[in-house]
Amino acid sequence: MMAAHPTRGLDETVHQRHRLGILTITSEADSADFGYLRDALELTAGNLSRHLTVLEEAGLVQVWKGYEGKRPRTWVKITADGRAALTTEIAALTELVRRHDAKTPT
Amino acid sequence: MSSDDTTPGEGSAQADAPRTMLSEVRRLRSEARTTRHAYWLPLVLFGLVIAGSAPFYVEPTHSSGFTAIGGAAFPGFSPLLGGQPAVIVYWLLAIGAGLYATSLWYRRHGRRVGLMTPARGFVIAGLIAGALVLVLPTVQFLPGDLTIRGTLPFLIIAAALWVLARAERSAALAVIAAVFTGTALLASLYNVENVLFRLGWTPTGAQWRLTTLPNILLPALVLLVSGAGAYVAQRRPRMVAA
Repeated sequence: MMAAHPTRGLDETVHQRHRLGILTITSEADSADFGYLRDALELTAGNLSRHLTVLEEAGLVQVWKGYEGKRPRTWVKITADGRAALTTEIAALTELVRRHDAKTPT
Repeated sequence: MSSDDTTPGEGSAQADAPRTMLSEVRRLRSEARTTRHAYWLPLVLFGLVIAGSAPFYVEPTHSSGFTAIGGAAFPGFSPLLGGQPAVIVYWLLAIGAGLYATSLWYRRHGRRVGLMTPARGFVIAGLIAGALVLVLPTVQFLPGDLTIRGTLPFLIIAAALWVLARAERSAALAVIAAVFTGTALLASLYNVENVLFRLGWTPTGAQWRLTTLPNILLPALVLLVSGAGAYVAQRRPRMVAA
């Protein structure tokens, strides 16, 4: 029996490159600041908010707002489902590259 | 980087898209780790804590090396027979304060750079290691040799550094933790002054009282030098970013 094609492991919510970036960064920390994500991914605040909403609705991240003195700050934390989805996505991407390299004549 | 959505089937037809995405994942991961790294301070802090304990290890009278086993209440925390209350209090307070200061440091650093490090595990590991080191020798679980020189607190610090290396996801800190653990075990099991004797150090008179200090100062030196190196390395990317 043939193994499933790696594209079957790609999830539309996670596969979008900015959302993949958000999950990658938040998986590297306990929580990430909205400003850090915006700068690292070179997104506008509105664009980042839109991607965060998609991820939050999918249960892949948690978003909460707080204050540091008088300055409002928004923090993002990856969930266990988010970590699992990220692992699956990276495995699928790695497998796609491996298959392509195996087919390419040297 | 485009902000257009990409459906799973589109980009995956070619290998370039997944390759680019994996490369981007690696870049973001590397940047996040570099930004998060702040372990120079705990290294310097615990290096100073160990160096600060040196006066407690000066021999009160002339002898060749450590004189006897640790204190009755906390074997392994004191170099002298019967235990010195002052050194035991010093270690308990210094390690507790060091763990607390480190957790505050990571919270402050996390707020400043926008990425929080899960440093709670570091404090918990230090407290658990401290509790084990306090309890195990009293029930004879540890070989006596480890408690003879009163340097068991070094092993608490070593355990905490391993947890910190994991929290920081830092291979460099794991190497430092490994070197420090080796040095801490050496200081607990061997009279380091013997090495200095072989290198030509011949203590005379009152200098004999200082012959126990290499066991204390060598692990302190490992942390202080590593901390200074980490400070330079961790400061550079932020200076470039600024």
